[in-house]
Amino acid sequence: MANPALPRPVLTPAPRRKFQRPRVRHVVYTFVWAMVAFDLLVLVWMALSSFKTAREIFAAPFGLPESWQLENWARAWEVGDFGPAILRTLLVVAATAIGTVAIAAPAAYALSRFGARSASGLTSFMAMGLGIPIQAIMLPLFVAMSQIGLVNSLGGLILVYIATSVPFAVFFLTAFFRSLSAELEEAAALDGATPWRTFWQIMLPLARSGIVTLVILNVIGHWSEGMLAMIFLQDPQQQTLSLALLGFMSRVQFSGADWGGLFAAIGLVVLPLLLVYIWLGRRIIEGMTLGSGK
Amino acid sequence: MSTASAEVRESGTALQPSRALPDPAVTPPGAVIDVPVKKNDKRSDAPTSPLQRGRRKLFVPFVGPAFFLYAVAIVAPTLFTVVLSFSKWAGSGPIEWVGFDNYKRLWYDDVFASSFGNTLLILFGVGFGTFLLSFFFTTVLREMAGRKFVRAVIFFPNAVSALAISILWGFLFQADGLINKVMGALGLDAPPRWLADDNLFYVICIGLIWINTGFYTTILMAAVDRIPITLYEAADLEGANAWQKFRHVTLPMMWDAVAVSATLWVISAIKIFEFIYVFAGAAGSTPTTKAWTLSLYAYAEAFQPTGVARFGASAAATVVTLVLIVLLIVLTRRVTRRESLEF
Repeated sequence: MANPALPRPVLTPAPRRKFQRPRVRHVVYTFVWAMVAFDLLVLVWMALSSFKTAREIFAAPFGLPESWQLENWARAWEVGDFGPAILRTLLVVAATAIGTVAIAAPAAYALSRFGARSASGLTSFMAMGLGIPIQAIMLPLFVAMSQIGLVNSLGGLILVYIATSVPFAVFFLTAFFRSLSAELEEAAALDGATPWRTFWQIMLPLARSGIVTLVILNVIGHWSEGMLAMIFLQDPQQQTLSLALLGFMSRVQFSGADWGGLFAAIGLVVLPLLLVYIWLGRRIIEGMTLGSGK
Repeated sequence: MSTASAEVRESGTALQPSRALPDPAVTPPGAVIDVPVKKNDKRSDAPTSPLQRGRRKLFVPFVGPAFFLYAVAIVAPTLFTVVLSFSKWAGSGPIEWVGFDNYKRLWYDDVFASSFGNTLLILFGVGFGTFLLSFFFTTVLREMAGRKFVRAVIFFPNAVSALAISILWGFLFQADGLINKVMGALGLDAPPRWLADDNLFYVICIGLIWINTGFYTTILMAAVDRIPITLYEAADLEGANAWQKFRHVTLPMMWDAVAVSATLWVISAIKIFEFIYVFAGAAGSTPTTKAWTLSLYAYAEAFQPTGVARFGASAAATVVTLVLIVLLIVLTRRVTRRESLEF
């Protein structure tokens, strides 16, 4: 799929030359592969442990489970209330992604393409938002939102998520729109298309790949977001996935060691992400590190 | 959707020749020729073409919602936090002006001092470890088979929730956890008590290095991949060793990416919250104060489950954080500034 904003990094095939001293190479390569093995083993260990009894998790960390404890997953699902939490999270994540794109895409297009005099100033102003940490906004935002009844409501959390996503989304899409060629816009103008129509029917479809990358990053980022969710959803009846996991963890710590259930609960959070990563890994990596190569 | 964009793309290539000038032969007589304008011309005050007039009308509706939301939900709260840091306020009622009292209190607060120290430890200690390892990885991965696979695996922790990673990381270091098992197998008995209050933060730091190395290795690798191979060949002919090649070829050539990464690190390091909160906080309570950073301090002072919310102290700590961010970004840009290399 064509993806103009993401530079193809490899211009020359990577050299596969040897280090001069074989022993150094040996040590160095071993270290790199050890780190890779560690990452993979953590995943395997998590998966295996989610099917074991608590005793077995510690006794034989890498053995196959003696009997597969499928009920770990069932218990985590039931006790941790993950079913409703996942539904809520899906709703929040989808609404956040749609809202973010709906607000950021027109702004990014106008900033990068209209040639307005104020565009570069506005873009820098928006970029400042990238450096503002959550703690700088949480207090006033919490007070203001509780006064208009938007605390403990999914709508309120969605609004906060969209607002905190907008600076990066505008920054990301502005770079993307800028990289598209001007020819089509000009051709559309020659044909008498209004700027709105040019945006909606030509530029937006052209920018689809950038928007999709943005949506993926946005969804991954909010799938298990914790800090804002803790502040704005204090009612256990409204908890999202991250809060369900935190709640389950504290319950496990209080009421006997249901470590198998805890691993299954982590699995419920991580598994969807793992599948998405296997499916869209290259795009996620490029998206998350975009803008840094320039 | 996909067919539409395919058509658009095709017609785009077909239209390419018309970029320089509209072909008079295909232009109907009397038609207004909208000559593609240069960027500078677009900036003129009086829009002449219908295109520019249309755009001018759309500019505010397009840009407005994003900037309105940004101003209301990000900029205004930030400014209000600055105001709060000079006042006493319980969330409602009148705001009482107290001058620098909140800052004075921070100055004498041991917890704030250690939170500040921990933030600096993350910024510089974890930062140093992360970049050292990332440099090492990029150097090795440049000429290693399976580099794409390695990159995909070590990047993965960044794509997974910090919450889940943090719980797993904590589990590894439990008294009868995996790390101690492995150390025992290697004959290292009497391992340190990883999760004791005094050691906790260091275990967190190691975890942060582990996660972030994958991220910054990926960024730097994208830059290293663009370095022309001829430079390395020349270095080889001169008999340069791996260190010399890194010092005189790789590092100067990827310097811009290093500069951006450093800025990125400053911003993201100060935001780190969930990993520490979950790792150090057993059973959903606020973690031991020895593992607090500035972001935890600001959170805990405002939203403590027990005790009184101290909005003023939280706001003052946040202002200190903001000043730290600005200072470090300016410093980073100054240190990494240089003429850009063309290649």
